[in-house]
Amino acid sequence: MKRIDHFLSEEDIALHDMRWEEVIAWWNLWLKQAQITNDADQNDYSHGVFRNEPRIKIKAPLRKSRR
Amino acid sequence: MKTNIYLQITDEFNAGRLRAIICSGQAAVLHRVAIMSKDGDWILQEDAECCRHILETLERHGAHYRFGAPLDVRWLSQGWSSHFEFTSGPLRIRTDFFTRPPRISMSELTALWQEEADKNPPFVNLTTLARLKQTDREKDYVVIGELARRMPVPVDQLLFSRSALDLIRLGKLYPSLVKQLISKRPLLANISSGRTVIETLLDAERRALIHLNEKRLAHFEKAAGQWRERWPDLARKISGLPLRKAHSILVKEAKKHLATTLP
Repeated sequence: MKRIDHFLSEEDIALHDMRWEEVIAWWNLWLKQAQITNDADQNDYSHGVFRNEPRIKIKAPLRKSRR
Repeated sequence: MKTNIYLQITDEFNAGRLRAIICSGQAAVLHRVAIMSKDGDWILQEDAECCRHILETLERHGAHYRFGAPLDVRWLSQGWSSHFEFTSGPLRIRTDFFTRPPRISMSELTALWQEEADKNPPFVNLTTLARLKQTDREKDYVVIGELARRMPVPVDQLLFSRSALDLIRLGKLYPSLVKQLISKRPLLANISSGRTVIETLLDAERRALIHLNEKRLAHFEKAAGQWRERWPDLARKISGLPLRKAHSILVKEAKKHLATTLP
């Protein structure tokens, strides 16, 4: 049996044999499910020459002391 | 649904003429290699009409600027990237653009535009995608490994393979080709040294590529220092404005705070 280095998951490998409609459906489902990490990667960049969004410092409003 | 937001928006970008080529993560899907990115990025034609059309298209989708360079040839031609975000149904869509993709020479870029002229959707070929994936992220190297297996030409397989076993097999099949390619990929000189040695060299090669990209990004990061400091105020200023109006403000500010010529 030919030995092989494995790089990707079975799901990814399966993309190769899917019909185009199945690829689109799986792609759309994947994108929908991936929204779960939106908060975690809110300031991150996937591409280009920037790594992250600058943090916007929000000044806390001054509290009036209650008497 | 018969289409996908990234295919739909690429069609819109390319209405009338080819302006945008899909790359990175979404190109990996189109090559049927992997789905592992929820953001989209495109290589753009480096001209003013292209930038205008992309901005108009994004404005129709209600997009806003993220931190980045203005989508303008003056910055894009220096290697800067522009970044936007909008919502499409349940999806947060991020669109990233550049005209000078890293690790791709100008002659390769010219050839890519010619190659993609009649394609729908246009997306980068396997070798260009592999170069784009030589980033500072470990996960991109497994994609390169799979891409290399899909490359039809042994030269490209030898130049991009991430598998010691594949390289050993290729070395036995194409010994003279290996000798010719050593200057381009030094680890090929050890292709007959066994799996463990090749794997060690592959690891070292990956780390060297990662460090090279980190250095490249650090260069841009340093040059963007003043722009980064200015951004929070600018972001507030352009918040809620139509994209093209926001763009005009950004260009005016970027002329003062973001170098068009990198040191």
